[in-house]
Amino acid sequence: MTGKRQEEILKRFTDRYSLGASSALNAVETEAIGAVVGANGYTTVAQAEQLLEVLDLNPSTWLLDIGAGRGWPGLYLSERSECCAVVTDIPRPAIAAAHARAEELGLAGRCHSVLASGSALPFRSASFDAVVHTDTL
Amino acid sequence: MAYYNIFIAPGLPRHLHRRALRAGPSAVGSRGISQVELLTRAGFQSVVETDLTEDFLITARAWFEGREARESELRTSFGDSWFEDRQADSRAMIPAIEEGLLRRSLFVAKAM
Repeated sequence: MTGKRQEEILKRFTDRYSLGASSALNAVETEAIGAVVGANGYTTVAQAEQLLEVLDLNPSTWLLDIGAGRGWPGLYLSERSECCAVVTDIPRPAIAAAHARAEELGLAGRCHSVLASGSALPFRSASFDAVVHTDTL
Repeated sequence: MAYYNIFIAPGLPRHLHRRALRAGPSAVGSRGISQVELLTRAGFQSVVETDLTEDFLITARAWFEGREARESELRTSFGDSWFEDRQADSRAMIPAIEEGLLRRSLFVAKAM
């Protein structure tokens, strides 16, 4: 992918994540995804549960969610398993929303939002026990 | 590691591959090899793929139909171009999934 194309995609997603919430969109998200979780893709609540089944997450594990947007599904996985989580993405409004959502859910003590690209993650090797991403690559 | 991935069905003739590329999400054409091969080459083991394309179609239709049903409220909240862009994306993507051009799977793999 070219640099120009990447910039276009970043702008597109930044614009999308800059939009506020609405009850109508929340209703659509509930029908499509199964709950209002800040999702705008195709990973349903049932599929987030599937991730819980295959990843051995618990309070002593660290999870990295790459391209998490507003924190879906990383924050949900942390909420369900009590694992620590780092959610990353490149649009600033998405990461700001993920941070706000972690606070709202009472997860700020164990969930962190980082503005970072999946192609240049600012973490040391072997920092995480599990990695997820949903339709990011 | 576990992740969901939307990808172009392998082995398509060039014209259908191009159509899938246009119909899919922005990152769908960013790779030239299968996810299983990519994971294996990167040193992951026990790679398991679970096809979830039927669920993908259900979810894509639900987004489209849900927005259609609330068109007026969504246009008021987010503007005409937002609504029309999202619906146009879905109008391109849904037939591409139905026709088998786009697929979605869960990939699970263990690091060595």
